[in-house]
Amino acid sequence: MARFVGYIAKRVLSYMVMIFVATSLTYFLASAFMSPRSNYESRTPRPPQESIEASLNATNLNDKTPILERYKTWLGNIATHWDWGKTPTGSSVNEEMSSRLAASVQLMTLATVISIVVGVSLGVYTAQRQYQWQDRFFGGMASLFMVVPTVVLAILIVFFAIEVNQLAGTRLFYVTGLSSYDGTNPFMALLDFLQHILLPTVVLTIISSVGYHLGQRTYLLDEMHADYVRTARAKGLTRKQAIRKHALRASLIPTAVSVAFSIAGIFTGAVMTEKIFAIHGLGEYFINCINNNNIHGAVAVAAFSGACTLVGALLADLFAAALDPRIKMS
Amino acid sequence: MAEMANESTRGSWVPQDQILSYELLEGNGPKGAPEGDPIMSVRNLKVSFATEAGRVDAVRGVNFDLWRGRTLGIVGESGSGKSVTALSLIGLLDDNARVAGSVKFDGEELVGKSDEEMAAFRGKSISMIFQDPLSALTPMFTIGEQLAETLLIHNPQMTKQEQRARCIELLRMVGITNPEDRLDAYPHEFSGGMRQRVVIAIAIANDPDVIIADEPTTALDVTIQAQILDVLAVAQRETGAAVVLITHDLGVIAGTADDVLVMYAGCAVERSSIDTVFARPSQPYTMGLLGAVPKPHMAAEHRLVPIKGNPPSLAAIPKGCPFSPRCPMASGKCFEVEPSLEPIDASEGHLVSCHKLAEIRDRHLSFQEVYPELEPLPAKWAEVPRDQRPVVLEVKDLVKTFPVQGKGLIRRERGTMTAVDHVSFRLHEGETLALVGESGSGKSTTLMQIMDLVKPEHGSITVLGRNTADLRNNRERREVRKDLQVIFQDPMSSLDPRMPIYDVLAEPLRAQKWSSKDINSRIGELMHLVGINPDYVDRFPSQFSGGQRQRIAIARALATRPKVLLLDEPIASLDVSIQAGIINLLEDLQVQLKISYLFVAHDLAVIRHISDSVAVMHLGKIVEQGDTEEVFTNPQDPYTKALLSAIPIPDPKVERSRERLVYQHGKLVSSSSLLPSLGK
Amino acid sequence: MSDEIRQDAPMEEKGMQEGSTDSEPKKAQLTNAELELLADEMGASGIGEVKRIGYFSLIGRRFVRQRSAMTGLVILALLALLAIFGPHIAPFTYTDPDFTALNVPPNATHWFGTDGGGFDLFASVVHGLGRSLAIGLIYSILTTIIAAVVGTSIAYVRGIPEKIGMWLLDMLLIIPSFLLVAMVVRAASGTQGWAMLIVGLTAFGWIGYARTLRTMALSLRERDYVRAAKYMGVSPLKTIVRHLIPNLGSILILDTVLGVIGGINSETAYSFLGLGIKAPDTSLGYLLSQGSSAMLSAPWIVLIPSVVLIVLCVSMQLIGDGLRDALDPYSRAAGSVEDDADEDDSSN
Repeated sequence: MARFVGYIAKRVLSYMVMIFVATSLTYFLASAFMSPRSNYESRTPRPPQESIEASLNATNLNDKTPILERYKTWLGNIATHWDWGKTPTGSSVNEEMSSRLAASVQLMTLATVISIVVGVSLGVYTAQRQYQWQDRFFGGMASLFMVVPTVVLAILIVFFAIEVNQLAGTRLFYVTGLSSYDGTNPFMALLDFLQHILLPTVVLTIISSVGYHLGQRTYLLDEMHADYVRTARAKGLTRKQAIRKHALRASLIPTAVSVAFSIAGIFTGAVMTEKIFAIHGLGEYFINCINNNNIHGAVAVAAFSGACTLVGALLADLFAAALDPRIKMS
Repeated sequence: MAEMANESTRGSWVPQDQILSYELLEGNGPKGAPEGDPIMSVRNLKVSFATEAGRVDAVRGVNFDLWRGRTLGIVGESGSGKSVTALSLIGLLDDNARVAGSVKFDGEELVGKSDEEMAAFRGKSISMIFQDPLSALTPMFTIGEQLAETLLIHNPQMTKQEQRARCIELLRMVGITNPEDRLDAYPHEFSGGMRQRVVIAIAIANDPDVIIADEPTTALDVTIQAQILDVLAVAQRETGAAVVLITHDLGVIAGTADDVLVMYAGCAVERSSIDTVFARPSQPYTMGLLGAVPKPHMAAEHRLVPIKGNPPSLAAIPKGCPFSPRCPMASGKCFEVEPSLEPIDASEGHLVSCHKLAEIRDRHLSFQEVYPELEPLPAKWAEVPRDQRPVVLEVKDLVKTFPVQGKGLIRRERGTMTAVDHVSFRLHEGETLALVGESGSGKSTTLMQIMDLVKPEHGSITVLGRNTADLRNNRERREVRKDLQVIFQDPMSSLDPRMPIYDVLAEPLRAQKWSSKDINSRIGELMHLVGINPDYVDRFPSQFSGGQRQRIAIARALATRPKVLLLDEPIASLDVSIQAGIINLLEDLQVQLKISYLFVAHDLAVIRHISDSVAVMHLGKIVEQGDTEEVFTNPQDPYTKALLSAIPIPDPKVERSRERLVYQHGKLVSSSSLLPSLGK
Repeated sequence: MSDEIRQDAPMEEKGMQEGSTDSEPKKAQLTNAELELLADEMGASGIGEVKRIGYFSLIGRRFVRQRSAMTGLVILALLALLAIFGPHIAPFTYTDPDFTALNVPPNATHWFGTDGGGFDLFASVVHGLGRSLAIGLIYSILTTIIAAVVGTSIAYVRGIPEKIGMWLLDMLLIIPSFLLVAMVVRAASGTQGWAMLIVGLTAFGWIGYARTLRTMALSLRERDYVRAAKYMGVSPLKTIVRHLIPNLGSILILDTVLGVIGGINSETAYSFLGLGIKAPDTSLGYLLSQGSSAMLSAPWIVLIPSVVLIVLCVSMQLIGDGLRDALDPYSRAAGSVEDDADEDDSSN
């Protein structure tokens, strides 16, 4: 156990070094490409020069300050106060992010769970019916959804929902935001939330279940033809039993590994879906940061998603170790 | 369960045909002629596969019967249809297989049964042992779980205690020590041999009537093979089952089978009892097969006689007798009409399919007459004794260690493993030195250490007078590589599938900066040298058979006119009938070109045939070294003795009378003392 | 050495013919190689009658045999023709608004209708289609080349350089490439935007791909022919170019085709978000973002580019699937070399 903890500690440490380097790199790149100064200069009327300089200095975004000096201040604030800096408008990145994080988690959790369930079930179902019409049908759907740009898919779904709303004469589906009900009835609040979350969830589920479906299908097909499945059948199991008891178990390991990665993705949100459905999550925030020259915000989101990726990688290792007896913890 | 069969139905299902009557006549083996009714009858079995390339006829009308307590050996090379035959008995063929004919088990027709119906037979009445023990067990479940599953499928009422007790009993039966502890182990914690024991335990768990063993020892080392064959014998004795042993190894058949079926291109070409087939092989293919293998128990006096050509592809079986294009006796009718199995003598059950049968029988033709013997080419420089010739390769005190890493998530180093442990030997000009050992003995590592041409961890390697430690850069190494080349085991993987043969052969020459004109003429020479039609230069490796590919690999190694050739198991992955040709080619080339061979192999028969001197490796060390004949006839080291005693010998009489020796903890013990006690 | 070969190796044609017809004792002096050549002449080698067929014509033949793949290819060809010649047959250009027709649905003058600014949608779509195709193709080819070179090189070098390379790839992977691409493209002007988008997408698009290719090259580097090349003295660079990359060839071809879809998708996403192609230039993604705000009043603005994108991506996907089956030796589209030749003969 001690060795295991030591191993994890070592991994975490090396990941932290990696995140540090990546984040610093992002900081320098963002500072080189983004110009918060233009935010102020393009205002009408143009603010006085001193006021621009003062605002930029206050937010540690002044490109006239040497980059290393800004970097030092920025890094110092993170290290001492866990303060990820200020936006060009002067508000705190920490605060903005935490409120948006909640929205992303609300949106992503449901979609992730559903897409795993749907995708893995479809994968298992179609693998057992390889080359039959069910496999062809769902395989065709998957190929279609895999290549259609998310934007197109989302727009078509929105378009369809609006048509339905018009036909029904009432707002069955909401296509923007996560809630619009201000009352106190918890039931109504839930219904309202569901009406809002339905469409983005459908979009996200379609997009990400395709991956699980095709992945699980491939893994199971690989395992189905393994020698040990034949041994199991030679014992007296029917083909179906052998697949269910032996091949399925093995094929779930790589799926579990990819699930581990997607758990981390819950927190980073979905850029396109959030943008189209006007959900104020981290993904949308990221775009806004880029559009608004919000260097600190962009770097913070990048660092956060990097951290999530690495947590996902660590989780993936642990999942694999827990499920596969060939990988030992000690 | 067979005993329970109703007396009245018994006689009626047994086909009273010629096939059975001939089989009952054959008793030239340890157990005499079969008695009673067979447990399984296979009649006119045909299996074809629908592939996009068209219909592939893998099995084309095979007949045999199985008796409880007897072993039928099915011998054949790759593509002969032997494995497909085995799988069709137990209903485990792929979905695209079409099975016709009849397979009756104790009166019940199995052909045409659904997967669910067959499942009731599998593991209970008919069970199977597969070739590769490493992949045959589910990695996710413990040994105990997998054994218990077999019991539970057919005996759902069994309690946990009963299952456990039976599992322990089974593991003990197959010779696994401490079975109580081993039940909770996972397959990856077992060695290959141990896993094959577990597979056998699974196969015998429900006291089957028929056990099908498909190349059960092919993937194993020779000493392990001997042990597994012993376990298989125990398993048969315990269950009283009929065993079908499928193999390409005539030595394995000699020691285990009662009856033999030789298959070629999906058909049985010869059938008889064990001693008959070895004493009087009567089909030219069987003769060739027996004649082509080097004999581990005899000194190499003669050149091997290979069967020319290659086994046919099942998608394109030659017209007439499928063996006719390769048969030295073939003429006229052989190329037109396919022969069928006929008795060589009406009073015997020895069946042979050959148009020339009368001639063979009347003139008592044997292998020597059918396949004219070839004299070895005289070596022009043979008069100089080997030890007076110059040394071309010297290895002194070579050591190579590998860091041992823990498996799995935490890859921490756990010390080092010494793969090569103070190995020294000398190779003279025109000499063949064999490094022999089982997997993990360090023989291939030694070879790769030499090929790397860098300063070894310890000791020294001197190639043609140049110490590898003195080679400073890749240019200097390339100069040495001109004279030192290597041939790998698997010709499938040693030739780049994307390169036509011309480029394959040109590659070493280009690396040595030959001009393209010289390269062109050299490639023509090389193709002749190894016996490949030079018109084939623009073909890709996939268009050649295994033997031809190995010839190409040899040509590539010879391209730069090397003086030393390292051969890493060069014939191990080839069919038996092809091996002899490659061995002869290597012998010819040595005579023609005065090359020295460092020959790494595990096949002792081949080594005895081809090498002048031998170094036996065990756990990284050379345990014995000397002239080949000296080592084979008078081994000194206990490990060498055990190794020699483990080789199966293609002679049933010799094989039966042998007592195997097993090397354990530095001592030799008799293998019979190691077999589990069978107190009932 | 070479003298000895010339003494022993050449065959005498006469002796061969004799040896094959009767069993003279002379035969005993033949080398194994000569016997084998004899057997080959008699057709026992099993390859004598095989017709030579190149790898690429084989793949081509397998590809053509699949109806869906050919459908995809035809659709793609039509789309490409539309992208190339469409601007010349269109009565309007995407830069000149027709102020007499704002927000009109598809009609005889404006085949795809117009948007709120009076821009002809047909001209815009055709232009955007060209942009999408160009971006997808160039992006895909460039990333494949970079990834192949980097991935195989990292796999081949082993040791410490391999470790450093992997660390760098991992590190680059955790920076969201979305951010980097957006920053690069945002700095570009409207007309240069599409070129900068390719630069940005390519600069950060190869990383994950290089990692995948490295994993595949890991098994290739253990092949005996790679080891043999090393032991023959072939230089590492030549080994990578001659053995590793060609043997990843089928994967590379396939991924190039599918990579085009990735490029098109990325273009759509970035342009939709306003981070990619901007006015005065136009692209399918840009049209979508314009149309999405007028979905109720002018649905054609968003529907027509959507349909074009779907048809484009699906046709690429069909081609990709067909290629995958053609390249996969175990797929149903496969046949052995000989049988393909036979089939071809009979069909002609």
